[in-house]
Amino acid sequence: MRSLRAFLARLRGSFPGGKRARELTEELESHIALDVDEKVRSGMDETEARRQAILRLGGLDATAERWRDRRGFPLLQELRQDLRGAARAIARHPGFAALTVAMLAVGIGGATAIFTIVHGVLIARLPFRDADRLVVLWEENADRPGRRNTVGPANFIRWTERATSFSKMTALYDTRVSLAGRARPEQLVAQYVTAGFFATLGVAPMIGRGFAPDEGPDGHDAVAVLSWGVWQRLFGGDPAIVGKPIQVNGRPVEVIGVAPRDFNFYLKSGSLVGKAPDLWMPMAFDPDTTVDPRGRYVSAFARLKDGVSIAEAGRELGAIAARLAVEWPRLDAGWTARVFPIRDEVSGDLRPALLVLSGAVGFVLVIVCVNVANLLLARGLARRQEIAIRTALGAGRFRVVRQLLTETLLLALLGGAAGWGIARAAVVVLLAKSPVDPTVLSRVRLSLPVLLFSVVAVVVTAVVSGIVPAIESVRGAVGEALQESTRSPTGGERARRIRQGLVVAEVALAAVLLVGAGLLLRSFGRLSRIDPGFDSEGLFTGRVILHGAAYKDDEKVLAFFRDVTARARAIPGVRAAGMVSFLPFAGLGAATDFTVVGEPQPPAGRAPVTDVRVCDNGFFQAMRIPLVQGRLFDEREMRTRSNVVIVSEAFARKAFPRGGALGRRVTIEMAHVAEEKPAPTEVIGIVGDVKVETLTAATRPMAYWPHPQLPYSGMTFVLRSDDPSVLAGPLRAAVAESDKDQPLGDARPMEDWIGVSLTGARFSAMLLATFAAIALLLAAAGIYGVMSYVVGQRRSEIGIRMALGAPAESIRRMMVAGGARLVLLGLAIGMPLALALSSVLSSLLFETSGRDPATLAGVIATLGVSAVAASYGPAWRASRIEPAESLRNSF
Amino acid sequence: MTDADEKSEVWQGTLALMILKTLEALGPLHGYGIARRIEQTSGDRLSLNYGTLYPALLKLEQEGSVVSEWGVSENNRRARFYRLTRTGRRELRREAGEWERTTAILMRFLRPEAGRT
Repeated sequence: MRSLRAFLARLRGSFPGGKRARELTEELESHIALDVDEKVRSGMDETEARRQAILRLGGLDATAERWRDRRGFPLLQELRQDLRGAARAIARHPGFAALTVAMLAVGIGGATAIFTIVHGVLIARLPFRDADRLVVLWEENADRPGRRNTVGPANFIRWTERATSFSKMTALYDTRVSLAGRARPEQLVAQYVTAGFFATLGVAPMIGRGFAPDEGPDGHDAVAVLSWGVWQRLFGGDPAIVGKPIQVNGRPVEVIGVAPRDFNFYLKSGSLVGKAPDLWMPMAFDPDTTVDPRGRYVSAFARLKDGVSIAEAGRELGAIAARLAVEWPRLDAGWTARVFPIRDEVSGDLRPALLVLSGAVGFVLVIVCVNVANLLLARGLARRQEIAIRTALGAGRFRVVRQLLTETLLLALLGGAAGWGIARAAVVVLLAKSPVDPTVLSRVRLSLPVLLFSVVAVVVTAVVSGIVPAIESVRGAVGEALQESTRSPTGGERARRIRQGLVVAEVALAAVLLVGAGLLLRSFGRLSRIDPGFDSEGLFTGRVILHGAAYKDDEKVLAFFRDVTARARAIPGVRAAGMVSFLPFAGLGAATDFTVVGEPQPPAGRAPVTDVRVCDNGFFQAMRIPLVQGRLFDEREMRTRSNVVIVSEAFARKAFPRGGALGRRVTIEMAHVAEEKPAPTEVIGIVGDVKVETLTAATRPMAYWPHPQLPYSGMTFVLRSDDPSVLAGPLRAAVAESDKDQPLGDARPMEDWIGVSLTGARFSAMLLATFAAIALLLAAAGIYGVMSYVVGQRRSEIGIRMALGAPAESIRRMMVAGGARLVLLGLAIGMPLALALSSVLSSLLFETSGRDPATLAGVIATLGVSAVAASYGPAWRASRIEPAESLRNSF
Repeated sequence: MTDADEKSEVWQGTLALMILKTLEALGPLHGYGIARRIEQTSGDRLSLNYGTLYPALLKLEQEGSVVSEWGVSENNRRARFYRLTRTGRRELRREAGEWERTTAILMRFLRPEAGRT
């Protein structure tokens, strides 16, 4: 208690101010006076009495010093002094300070921003209970190893019956639903989930409840849990919404709960929609699912039983899948099942890019440190005399080093504070540009760990960039420093060598970043030049999914889409309009086995696979997919089911390697609900291949049926015009004219969809290019700084040369060559390093070698030009030196 | 070498105790007065560096054992007077008791024959 009191008093005493401290002098004076009084009374001379009184006190200043040491904590007081000194030193050179703080802000801000994402995606706990016990389950086809395939419901049911590794298992699929009964119909994303969904994740709804075990089968499925976002956006955050009905797909559904704010569950690999959900609804499998298993469309995840590892669960599920392949060859031959940690779903696509970016931002931070060290060295030299005087007056070297480090720390703190602002803004931009939304399963934000990271970055930066200059500045004899002029040619020799070494290091690091950025940019260029097989420019798209009793009849569905397409075609400026069941690049689409009529049947599970779309002629016209052979659909085929098909060139190659596809019949294993078995369809035309999923994916066979063959109630309209950006309104009006309750979803230009598929590559390329540009700028600044310094240092030498008749041109050449020499050295170190590190990038590169010669040449040229540019200013100044003046000044 | 020449250096812990005891005996007193009193009480056997007194007083003040305020000395000098607080009295009793116990134990070691009588 007593010591705590004293501690607090001392803590207070460590800061300036306070009457007590000011009064000490007075108190000591009074002490002396009392002592003198007594001595004079006993007959001593007053001067002598005063002398002895001070002696007995042990000196006025020394006593005051001891008293002050007791008053506060000496270390804290010194730190305060150091800080005050540092603040003064910084204020004396605002330009230097601003430059340093700006560089530090860029370095620390960049590092903080990247770390924020890395922390959220790779490190931070996912917002589910015991998230490391959650796994996702995917099927995998032997022909497409490594590709995560959605799960067949029949298989999922078997897994739940047989697997012992999991305590809970859940399946889900997502789709778009319409929300009516409001001013404007809304298209929302719904996840249909089995009853254990919330329990498996260990998340309880924020208000209301999750699904009961009996909710799911038909008749018990009219309940929904809203996401926090939709609850806020559409229902104003009204808690009374629980228990009320909303109109989903034309029927009343009771809201039973609202999910917590952070809860955002979405498994990208299995999503048909490609978006996080707005609401959840229960699903149950038909009892006959296992009797007549068809298709794979659900995502599955599970919670591991205690003590079961992911590898063990994977082995068990693999064994179950192997048995199913034997029991059920029609569905499962050639298929296996895999288990992955749920974090893979967050970080899978981002991990390699994030690791590369972390490295890059680290390099930038090191370059910043080097540059700041360089600036500090230059300034330390200018302050040699000041420091020598301080040392001469009794300041310990350690104390001076500490003072200088405090200055750097203060600069770094300012830089860190500015960097924090940069990081805040950068994270927003990064999240917007990120190829996958990292906030879907995790939480990405500036949090306490991120703040700690920044603080550590600040301290480390300060020490790394400040220690060498600080030690350098107290080197050497005091007398020597006091005698020499700052411009003397000898004093700075050592500092010059250090500074040149730092610049070489900077150039080497910049070279590595430039090579990385160059390779990614080149790869991105190749990627964006890939021909998707259609002309995306000028295309606008929008999707409608018909729900409700009014569209039970196929004819109504067909008529609706036919009418809207016709109306869309009449919109002014629209050159072509069509529709398709699944738009390329806009998520997953349907795919199935096929066989050729009249050919021997392949063994079970080995049949070739084709993507399947239904569309109209307008689709091919709007997309500019060329007709290679045969014809498009005719009027009759667009009205009634006629069993005809248009196939892609890849399909034709696969099914008819010897040609002659037209007129042949193929059985595509996909049938209308009313049919028992899929009917064979006759090939009437062959069209060009298109990429459907990503630009880099291999081209796959594709079959196009006319809409009546399979009257999908969800279709995407495709409109071609010169200015697609103005089409959202007219298309929405065209839909409303047919049915005012149908929402138009995903209304956006085709370029956006393609862009999404390029974002990944663009994201890493642009970020790395930004870092490389910063590095290049910093390296150039470093070269400029050192060359300016060299010019200043060699003024008299240059003066003599010019006095002896050296032309200005040769002086300039000499200085530029000096800068070029640094860059060459830097390249000699940096290029081998870059080549060694480029293998790290290989997973991010598309058709680009890590040793791409054009990139390497470009980097060398860029650095060379920068070196010349950066040294040219100082060189020009050197060539303008007046010989007489420079000689006069130096002696 | 006489007994009086053999002056002992005062160390911090005991100095605080001496200050507290002096203030208890004499009431509020200024730094110079405390210093003189300590010297006199010790029969001038203690060499007190007056300068050490002030940090010691500050420490006691920070711990709440004494408070200080300006006053006027007996010969009309303005001086800072230190006064014992209740905490200070308690502290004095505690420390004095400890000292007595410690010295008593030490005495038994140093003069065992005295301990047996």
